[in-house]
Amino acid sequence: MNRREFGALVVAAAAAAGPFRAFADETCQSPYMPKITGQEEFVYVWTLGVEGMGDEQDKLVTIDLRPDSPMRGQVINSLSVGGRNEAHHGGFSADRRYFWTGGLDTNRIFIFDVHTDPSKPSLHKTIESFVKDSGGVVGPHTFFALPGSMMITGLSNDDDHGGRTALVEYNDAGDYVATYWMPTTSDMQGAVAVGDAVADGYGYDIRALIRKNIMLTSSFTGWSNYMMDFGQMLQDTDAMKRFGNTIVQWDLHTRQPRKVFNVPGAPLEIRFPWGPNANYAFSTTALTSKLWLIYEDDSGEWQAKDVADIGNPADIPLPVDISIAADDQTLWVNSFMDGKTRLFDISDPHNPSQIYEKTIDRQVNMVSQSWDGKRVYFSSSLLANWDKKGDDDVQYLRAYTWDGKELIEDFDIDFYKLGLGRAHIMRFGSSELYTS
Amino acid sequence: MRQLFLPYIIASFLNWAVSAHAQSQCIADAQDWSETALKRSLSAPLGLPPVLHPYDNSPSVAKIELGRKLFFDRRLSINRTMSCAMCHVPEQGFTNWELSTAIGVEGRSLKRNSPSILNVGHLNVLFHDGRDHALETQFIGPLTARNEMANPSAGYVVTLLNKLPEYALMFEDAFEAQASLDRIGMALGAYQRSVLAGNSPFDQWHFGGDEAAVSADVKRGFQIFTGKGNCSACHLIGDDHALFTDERFHDTGYAQLRDIERQNPPTSIPVQVAPGVVHEMAFSKIHSVSAKREADLGRYEVTEDPADRWRFRTPSLRNLTVTPPYMHDGHFSTLSEVIEFYNQGGSQISSQDPRIRPLGLTGVEMRDLEAFLQSLTSPDLGCLISEARVSPPDNH
Repeated sequence: MNRREFGALVVAAAAAAGPFRAFADETCQSPYMPKITGQEEFVYVWTLGVEGMGDEQDKLVTIDLRPDSPMRGQVINSLSVGGRNEAHHGGFSADRRYFWTGGLDTNRIFIFDVHTDPSKPSLHKTIESFVKDSGGVVGPHTFFALPGSMMITGLSNDDDHGGRTALVEYNDAGDYVATYWMPTTSDMQGAVAVGDAVADGYGYDIRALIRKNIMLTSSFTGWSNYMMDFGQMLQDTDAMKRFGNTIVQWDLHTRQPRKVFNVPGAPLEIRFPWGPNANYAFSTTALTSKLWLIYEDDSGEWQAKDVADIGNPADIPLPVDISIAADDQTLWVNSFMDGKTRLFDISDPHNPSQIYEKTIDRQVNMVSQSWDGKRVYFSSSLLANWDKKGDDDVQYLRAYTWDGKELIEDFDIDFYKLGLGRAHIMRFGSSELYTS
Repeated sequence: MRQLFLPYIIASFLNWAVSAHAQSQCIADAQDWSETALKRSLSAPLGLPPVLHPYDNSPSVAKIELGRKLFFDRRLSINRTMSCAMCHVPEQGFTNWELSTAIGVEGRSLKRNSPSILNVGHLNVLFHDGRDHALETQFIGPLTARNEMANPSAGYVVTLLNKLPEYALMFEDAFEAQASLDRIGMALGAYQRSVLAGNSPFDQWHFGGDEAAVSADVKRGFQIFTGKGNCSACHLIGDDHALFTDERFHDTGYAQLRDIERQNPPTSIPVQVAPGVVHEMAFSKIHSVSAKREADLGRYEVTEDPADRWRFRTPSLRNLTVTPPYMHDGHFSTLSEVIEFYNQGGSQISSQDPRIRPLGLTGVEMRDLEAFLQSLTSPDLGCLISEARVSPPDNH
């Protein structure tokens, strides 16, 4: 899809929805989810509690984004959930009425009601039994909405807190459905290792391309590493050997693994484009700092190859979150260690090139953009014990406008100054989603 | 770094393969595994002395079953994420070969490598610094240490156990009483005293008289171990058994060397970012994401006697191949690194134990010595793993 086609799509969608329909959304959500394509009204920030700060608990922070609100750019609600759970990622249910979030440490899953009052989410349900339900999966990470259910990637297991893990499916009511273990060399489950890939059984992100019946998962590391002091881990030669080096292709409908690709250096986020003929996905490797393309070749077979460096890989900039534009032309790539965001032109997915970069701060992790790409939001925290120390440990949500050439700061919220904690994943909300 | 990686992977794979193979040959019976464990704890596997059970804690099936359940129960930590077994992983030699130093609740760092509990029932001083002397009391430290299981108090755990209905019957069976702090310790002690692993190829040869049990290089390595290397001065071998430890505390020069390195970090270190891919990372970057690391003064932290600075308990050498990484802080990934350290005379810091001196071993001699150390691995580990995993760990 080129920019002209995308523009036509937006106009058509606006005409169909009427003038009072909100049109905005972050661009990396499950395709099963209702899409909003105008001005986002709220951003929910899943925030890690910090010892000695505020109430020390993890919390869901709501920030007002309504242009005509006197509270715009300010925190309007904070809902603490008890304990420090290593708050990390979250995702809406397919009907977008509930926001599921996970604690990578305690394995608790918090389901927030975001539709009754989108400006003030409430805690609808807490799942305390994830490890027991799943048969030993630890670290609920990505929450990917499927029709009627939520697919959750694990990061670890309760045998050894290493990286072997599984996908775990719950229904929308929060009841356990099934566990799908990642393929390993000793149990490939019918999957085929491509080239010199070694099925490590690790997990991280999940995304799907429905019309191709393709589901992809990536691979990070186990509890022992993601909970450990980052500097200590970098000096621990044994711990550094415990990172995932694979992306797995699954059959979306049968949940069967099909192929294991060799993607060395901890591939993290996976993003499919939105174009009707775009049969590929991007991922980035955290440790080796590469942009990867997983694509369907001319013979209909899926392949994986690295297509660009992110910064200088020898500097280990540590690329983390990525965000693909709704028109499939550009990709934001954040790197934690140098605090930079980089924009890649991905109009030719096989030959991406960096076209812009900006230092956001001393550290940066997540990036979310509005559907039209004009508003871009950044947050700061990677993991509680991986974040920088001392003065470099800045914690924020920072909003920018993107004019096609430059990121221009809109507002900044200092999460430490407000006693909130470490700002992690951002997800947008809007009351317009729930009006008839 | 690049050179070390492949041998380590191979060694890890071999370790894993040995464990997996042994496990496949020994499947614990869910009904009577504890009977087998009890018999083992009352016997003396070849090469090991009989376990000296405390007079007030004779082992029983019920205590062993209860002890195993407690050992694996993740609910016994403040946020229900840590059990004893998360740092003492059965498949990893009842230690953790994925980490140099252990990680506790909320990812808090410990200074030391998790010691294996294999044959721990034979030890009279526990922990690397000997801070405790009995399995019946040892557990209280990790249970309440802020950087381990972080319970607010030992009594909190007792109360928790008395609220869990599945434990009521087990404590009744084992002690005819409800849970208490001393009974938790007795059950954990009974289980751990059943985790015995002798009968190694070395035992079969040296104590069993089976000349074919080990190869010629192992026998040559034994001669170096007891002769030119003088390793057996601290890693003792008796007439009819060998624990390979004198259970005393020594300054090998290693701890002081590591502290000098801590205080004087290099400008950069190699960091492996993928198999076969190593980048040199500026230490200033590592420092930016590092919490402050404390010195580790060893036995001194228990006695506060300046003479005990840098001293650590002599570890047993049994089952070394399944308990990497090595040294009290797990800094060495391979046995060859350890041998090289001692062959060069430790750190050659003046205060180190005079028995640590340049050994002058040749390459062949060092390989023979390593072959000998590898012969200390029990073939019975699979049974211990299978017993440990006889039922899933408790989770909330």
